[in-house]
Amino acid sequence: MGSLRALLGVTWRRPSARIGWLLLGAVLAAALVLPPILPDPAAQPDILSQANLPPGLGHPFGTDMLSRDVLSRVAWGARVSLSVAALAVVLSVTIGAAVGLVAGYAGGRTDAVLMRLVDAALAVPRLFILLLLLAVWERIPLAALIVILGTTGWFATSRLVRGEVLRLRGEDFVRGAEALGAGRRRVMFRHLLPNTLGPLLVAATLGVGEVILLEAGLSFLGLGIQPPTPSWGGMILDAKPVLVTAPWSSVFPGLAILVTVLAVNLVGDALSDALDPRSA
Amino acid sequence: MKRWLAGRVAQAVVTFALAAVLLFVLMRLAPGDPLGRLATQRPLTPDEVAVLRARYGLDQPLARQFTAWAGALLHGDLGTSIEYGRPVAGLIAERLPATLLLGGAVLLVNFTLGLWLGVQQAIRRGALVDRGLTVLSLAGYAMPSFWLGLVLAWLVGVRWRVLPPAGMSDPLLDPAAGLGARAADLLAHLALPALTLAVVSIAATMRYQRRAMLDVLGFPYIVAARAKGVPEGDVRWRHAWRNALFPVLTLFGLWLPILATGSVFVESVFAWPGLGSLAAEAVGTRDYPLLMGATLLVSALVVAGGLITDLAYAVLDPRVRFG
Amino acid sequence: MPSALRRSALAACLLALAAPHTGLAQSRDRRTIVLAVPQQASVPIPTMMEGAASTTGNQDVADQLFLRLAVLGPALQTSGDDGFVPQLARSWTRRDSLTLAFDLDPRARWHDGSPVVAADVVLAFDRARNPAIAPKLAGLLRHVAAVTAESDRRVVIRFDRAYAEQLYDATFHVQPLPSHLLASARAAPELPREFVQHPVGNGPFKWVRSVPGQFIELAADTAFFLGRPGIGRVFIRAASDPDARLNLMLSGEADATDVSAPVSNFQRVAAAPDLRTASVPSPVMGYLLFNQRDRTDRSRPHPILSDPVVRRAIVLALDRVMMVRATYGAYADVPYGPVSQLLWIRRGSPRAARQNLGEARRLLASRGWTDSDGDGVLDRDGRPLALTLNYPLTSEVRRQMATLAQEQLRQAGIRIDLVRLEGPVWSERRSRGAFDIDFSSVTQDPTPSGLTQGWTCHGGTNVGGYCDPAVDSLMERAIAARSGADRLWQEVLRRIEADAPAAFLYAPSYVFAVNRRVATVRLRPESAWRDLWQWSVR
Repeated sequence: MGSLRALLGVTWRRPSARIGWLLLGAVLAAALVLPPILPDPAAQPDILSQANLPPGLGHPFGTDMLSRDVLSRVAWGARVSLSVAALAVVLSVTIGAAVGLVAGYAGGRTDAVLMRLVDAALAVPRLFILLLLLAVWERIPLAALIVILGTTGWFATSRLVRGEVLRLRGEDFVRGAEALGAGRRRVMFRHLLPNTLGPLLVAATLGVGEVILLEAGLSFLGLGIQPPTPSWGGMILDAKPVLVTAPWSSVFPGLAILVTVLAVNLVGDALSDALDPRSA
Repeated sequence: MKRWLAGRVAQAVVTFALAAVLLFVLMRLAPGDPLGRLATQRPLTPDEVAVLRARYGLDQPLARQFTAWAGALLHGDLGTSIEYGRPVAGLIAERLPATLLLGGAVLLVNFTLGLWLGVQQAIRRGALVDRGLTVLSLAGYAMPSFWLGLVLAWLVGVRWRVLPPAGMSDPLLDPAAGLGARAADLLAHLALPALTLAVVSIAATMRYQRRAMLDVLGFPYIVAARAKGVPEGDVRWRHAWRNALFPVLTLFGLWLPILATGSVFVESVFAWPGLGSLAAEAVGTRDYPLLMGATLLVSALVVAGGLITDLAYAVLDPRVRFG
Repeated sequence: MPSALRRSALAACLLALAAPHTGLAQSRDRRTIVLAVPQQASVPIPTMMEGAASTTGNQDVADQLFLRLAVLGPALQTSGDDGFVPQLARSWTRRDSLTLAFDLDPRARWHDGSPVVAADVVLAFDRARNPAIAPKLAGLLRHVAAVTAESDRRVVIRFDRAYAEQLYDATFHVQPLPSHLLASARAAPELPREFVQHPVGNGPFKWVRSVPGQFIELAADTAFFLGRPGIGRVFIRAASDPDARLNLMLSGEADATDVSAPVSNFQRVAAAPDLRTASVPSPVMGYLLFNQRDRTDRSRPHPILSDPVVRRAIVLALDRVMMVRATYGAYADVPYGPVSQLLWIRRGSPRAARQNLGEARRLLASRGWTDSDGDGVLDRDGRPLALTLNYPLTSEVRRQMATLAQEQLRQAGIRIDLVRLEGPVWSERRSRGAFDIDFSSVTQDPTPSGLTQGWTCHGGTNVGGYCDPAVDSLMERAIAARSGADRLWQEVLRRIEADAPAAFLYAPSYVFAVNRRVATVRLRPESAWRDLWQWSVR
């Protein structure tokens, strides 16, 4: 675990990654602190006189076409987007690691079957799988959305871990442990898994960005998070007709997506550089 | 080598077949009847629906639908679109060139500008240029493509009127016009959707190229070349870049799913008549045969891309064992 | 590559991209017009526009290519024989209460030069009345008993019963087809491939070509027998995204398009100096349909919505005028009864009820719905006044209005759970009756007799379980009446409003943006671009 801390330390020393950490911190802080002190994100005070107000004192980010406060919706959307992304990624990384470990260590027919299935799943772009799965639910509960995003995101991770395991299997410390009579489970969890944590961490960080973008895209298509729960993609969908006349109602959720995904990618990028000593 | 090749091809075929089964199951498990949406426009009586269901084979049991579909697929028949009332294969063939053109343009930008920028970053590792490009390219990657597309269409197409905001060609252009005029018209319409997709995808090429280049620049033979007094430009481009190019080019297979997904969002915004907008339409209207055909084609491309990548590795990299 | 060369190459490319665009947009042929439409026509051919092909995109192009025997006049009066304008038929005579005879205009020609003959009308009706070919048309033409050619220019249509809309049925639904090209296709669902790819019509415009996914090109028939079209060439460009269509208009790449709500789109058109707004009555009507049967068991009444007092209270709790203003601006009104702007029976109707929250609460309280636990939601016997509202996610207007309705009903103590559904799922739920409130929208035919489908006890699309025998018999009398039909229809509407089977929310106009270079604009409510040939360009 010491190496993990060193890894994080490296990213903090890199200026671009530090920007990432700071941005991520700002988004997290906004998501935690702002919602309770802002107006109800679903309230429509007066649709005829208070809709599409430009940013000002009362509404720092303006109001949308239904006279709702944009800042409040962006802040609530941050809570939703971040927690959906984090939970989905935890799920997908766990499944991916498990499948990759088993396939890589068991080898043979197990490996072949698992990897054929993973290949098949990878051959269908994730968006298409999601569109089909999401159509099954009429009001998709948040938990189900997380599960769907999580269970469709582990294919590449499992390949990554499998590759790493295949490489490690030939290493002396694994051979040594096996020679000393360590059981399969012990080898997998004590020796192989800890050594794949670095790549897993990178996959997880980049995965968070991907899930936020996917969730925004799905909500933009009207399939993701359901109203009245605010979500960034859903806000852009709502604001599409007033893109020009009231740009603030689509620009701010768009910026929120951009900043958050940029932040996690800067961190993820620095992490993967740090794992590859030549390019740090 | 021959045995390895045959095995790899067989593996690709199995992968594709599995993907096809997976898709069929997903698609038919979803609720909602493709004919049901017709009622959104005009009411249909049960009798009218029955006639149409029989015409499209939707009254058959699921297993029968699958065998019929798979059998026809083997003969290259993707069925008949419910929305268009025409063979899916023909529809896809009509729309495929537009998507290939758009995808090709984006790949071209990625693999010229993207590679060049990646090399520049590697050469100036840690400098302001490197860091700035890192942040900029990742910011592009972090942008939702539909959002960027909406903004560009309005800003460049409507506000500045520099480029057309939608479509693939100016219908007023005489079909007998010269090749130059037609190409210029096409390029003008291609610019905005291609730019949108390039901005959101160029980061990956740049990152890979930067890393590959840094790897190579650390090799002893580069150090040796520099020590021998080879000019720095030659060291970078002749010695280093040639070797750093290869791992990046084989990433080609990775691009297909990204471009396919991006085109679903971007093509509709720009009314680009490609497979992406067709697929987006088919999702909304639950046009099973059409959505199936489009997705299958994308999957086939992805599998083929992977196969080509492996073959390229095998041919170019002697370390690959044919075991 | 040296970087200077690279840079100049890039600059050259950018110049090449920018130059032709501005050039083409300005050097436009004066007699050419570009329409931007939501969907490209796939089979714009009469009797082929069934099922999925029954789209506005197909109808609009078919209306340019194929004429009807006669068309509706300006009053859109569908009953009786007076409200029609001759087209292919020069005149018609009524032989008895069951028989109409049409005399074709001898000047009418197919685009290949052949004259339009009675056999063409017979062929089209034979196909249209065959349920295996055209189930929808066959249903609409169910009262047509026989269509025969008495001579080359005279067609006789017989009906199996006497009713007010015989002429409407004989002329509106189906356009004649060229029998000299399609002799073999009398009973085949598919027409010859060549004809489908290159339809030969008899209307003001001829088919030129279709570029898939992009546009269709039509050219004026300079020998058109009703007059030479004022437009020489028409390009019908497809762009499914409404913003893309509006962008094409604002950038000068298209001359006319439909503009969809919300009101911000209308404002953008109004603010553009080279565009103007045109509107016509539309056949669309949006309403919140109340399910009077239990949504899980159709044999039982709905626990909340079977009570007409509760339904009326919901209608009164809605500020429909404000909802319409917020989404459509001035381009829609609140209908009285299930009546779009297209239906002539809307004339003489009273105004729809305004919002009255106090009355709504009083009505609800009178049926035992009070907020006994103080949570803001009314309840009765421990059961909250909570309802789901289904709506399809594809409709911008319904999405926005559903959110507004949810908030307004919350103020009346009614909890609404919005259920946003993908189009097919939504309509499947709707037709199964699996909903509390359904946000419906209909596109009505110009005839009020279409109301029997949704609002009589056994109507084919009556999914809400509304049944009032008095309304049924009133409608039957109104349809059969040769005179005095309008009073009977008013009584139908009054009864429906009193029963409140739905909250009728909006009857919009179709709004169009037209470039100011177009001098004469004529839009038709039942088929927007039908009179395009009478347009002219400056």
